Amino acid sequence: MTTIECRSVAVDGGMLTITATRRPRAGRADVKCSVPGAPAVAERMQQVVRLARHTEPRFDSRDQVVLSLDRAPGEGDRDWELAAVLADRIVRGVYTPQREVVANGWSDAWHLGRIDGRRLAGSPDGVLLGGADALAHLGALNGQPDPAAGISSARAWFPMHSGGEHDGLGWVEVSVRPLARAGRDEDDPVSVPDVDAVRQAQVAAVLAGSRHFDGRGQGQWRTTVRFGEPRFSGDSYQLALVMADRMARGREFLARGRVIATGSSSAWHAGRVETVEALAPKCALIAREAGQGDRILLPKEWEAALPQGLREELRARGASLACVERIGII
Amino acid sequence: MLGSLFKSTLQNTLRPLRQPEFDATRLGSVAIALPAPNGLTVPPGCAAVLVDRGGRSRRQAAGTRIAAIEGETAWCVHPGPYTCELAPFAGAPEIGLRVHFAIDASDPRATHQRFDLFLASEAGCMVELGGFVELAQTALQRELAQGNLELPPCTTLEEWNAFRTGFNQLMYTRFGVTVDDCVPVDLGATRDYAATLDARLAARLDAVLPNAAAREQAAAPVVAQEAFVPACEDARALRRLFLELPCLMCAVRMAVLPADQGRFRQHQELLRRLDLVSLSVGTMPALELAAPGQPLAQEEQQRRARHSRRAAATLDEAWALLARLKVAGEAPLDGLFDEADRIVANLETEAGARRAVTARDVELEDA
Repeated sequence: MTTIECRSVAVDGGMLTITATRRPRAGRADVKCSVPGAPAVAERMQQVVRLARHTEPRFDSRDQVVLSLDRAPGEGDRDWELAAVLADRIVRGVYTPQREVVANGWSDAWHLGRIDGRRLAGSPDGVLLGGADALAHLGALNGQPDPAAGISSARAWFPMHSGGEHDGLGWVEVSVRPLARAGRDEDDPVSVPDVDAVRQAQVAAVLAGSRHFDGRGQGQWRTTVRFGEPRFSGDSYQLALVMADRMARGREFLARGRVIATGSSSAWHAGRVETVEALAPKCALIAREAGQGDRILLPKEWEAALPQGLREELRARGASLACVERIGII
Repeated sequence: MLGSLFKSTLQNTLRPLRQPEFDATRLGSVAIALPAPNGLTVPPGCAAVLVDRGGRSRRQAAGTRIAAIEGETAWCVHPGPYTCELAPFAGAPEIGLRVHFAIDASDPRATHQRFDLFLASEAGCMVELGGFVELAQTALQRELAQGNLELPPCTTLEEWNAFRTGFNQLMYTRFGVTVDDCVPVDLGATRDYAATLDARLAARLDAVLPNAAAREQAAAPVVAQEAFVPACEDARALRRLFLELPCLMCAVRMAVLPADQGRFRQHQELLRRLDLVSLSVGTMPALELAAPGQPLAQEEQQRRARHSRRAAATLDEAWALLARLKVAGEAPLDGLFDEADRIVANLETEAGARRAVTARDVELEDA
């Protein structure tokens, strides 16, 4: 039997804890929920979990998942829904978070994987927030674009290395919406909030270059680029940015997990990927962070110097690695 | 006088029998298989497939006259080649695969021609290229989503070759078609994502602020949602299970040569369970009856039909798994056997739920 816990911030500021266990089904119900003193909430939880399972490609009838809330949530409070869905996924190994999950979000369309909003005000540190401005659908956990949304956005991750304790994976998110067909070509409006003018210009130049190589996407999109951690130095985020942009515009094959990339280029208009610094610590970081289904992209120059056994270790975890000298198909 | 009598008799004898009407021009371009009337001479380049009620099929070559026995349905099949474009990911419409494929000539080594089975169990009336491509795309997308085939960003040549091997086998095992060529293509020119999103946003905006144009659109017939008619869905799904499960079992039996005693037992157990599912499908109670002479409530019929449909979807997964077994070669089979266990368990669950009279019967009360 597997047991995990997920939490959610309650209306009163305290924590709601969802405990999920998995055991062989043996002819019982696929999902069973209990909430002390609130059978209606338990019923809603079972419905939410069953609906959200419709977005999973793989169905397994051999397990039973039992979910319980430690106390009844406030009247009309639905922010625990996201935590329940994630608990159900984590206990079955469908989603593997890097750390303990605290999540707030509700939805009227769990069967589409959409997350409509949250009641929680502000953005407390370490809380996974659902809603259009944060986690808009379940696929976004892995950075994938929502195939049903009007605005397409995708995320890619890149190793941030400064030799300190704060090394980790940073993410860059590209959102594109179709430009009103005003016929303003060449200079796509690209906005990058929260970063300085130099970085803004660099992001715009990288996108312009890679879209030029792509042959499409110029004068088509209004683009917003966000960084998980806007304060960083170096150019190695560029490959991740380019990949996120291509995924958002629906022009790249998709990984099942996250895309983790490092690489820069002096000639994005030629699609070339060039080497970056800090091979060893970044590879160590990636080996630590990579999970099931992740795709790791490194510069071709790194291929000969990769640490011994990195590929095998990644493959054992279900991730795959490629050293590329060029973006695009093969 | 005598001469003319002789002439007319001769004409009567030599005149070919009247050909039934059949339009073969669509075959090979937009249609893969069309229903053929009895007595038709099979057009050149095509083959006729005749299927009886129990799903047994036979083929007739071009130039022969179709002679269907009582209970047989005949199709004219054009082997192709056909060209189509598949989108491997729903979320990436501008990148696709251009696939050239052909319908396999009958394989003398095989007892069942897979394409003939496809015709018998899934074709309905005719097989149009568009509909077939949609089925192939669904099969491909599901395999990629489950991670059984990999087509990651910046696919390397090695990964591409592995994908091609798996994809070719999937298409052959699931549909009985051979893939001659498959290349990645840019579909941006025909499927403009920006235009799609623009239309989507406009539709959403109209829903919030209805204007004259939107009202006009609303008045026009909306895109018909795929209607779910329980009786049709259920009959179609059960017929698929009834025809395909025996063939699937036969193929699973041959695909694995158990290496040791443990594997042999596992293999036998899988086949035994599949056999029971097949038996359960063959003896399935009628959709609309709770018990003989007792009608079943409409919503319970809906529920039963949903379970049949899910069982048929699981059958697709089983064919895909069979394709993976075939390309696995000497590789370790533990993962594949676990998948087989999952799929058979799903089939058992769905078949059991389809038999149940009410939703409550499906789940035993918790001990």
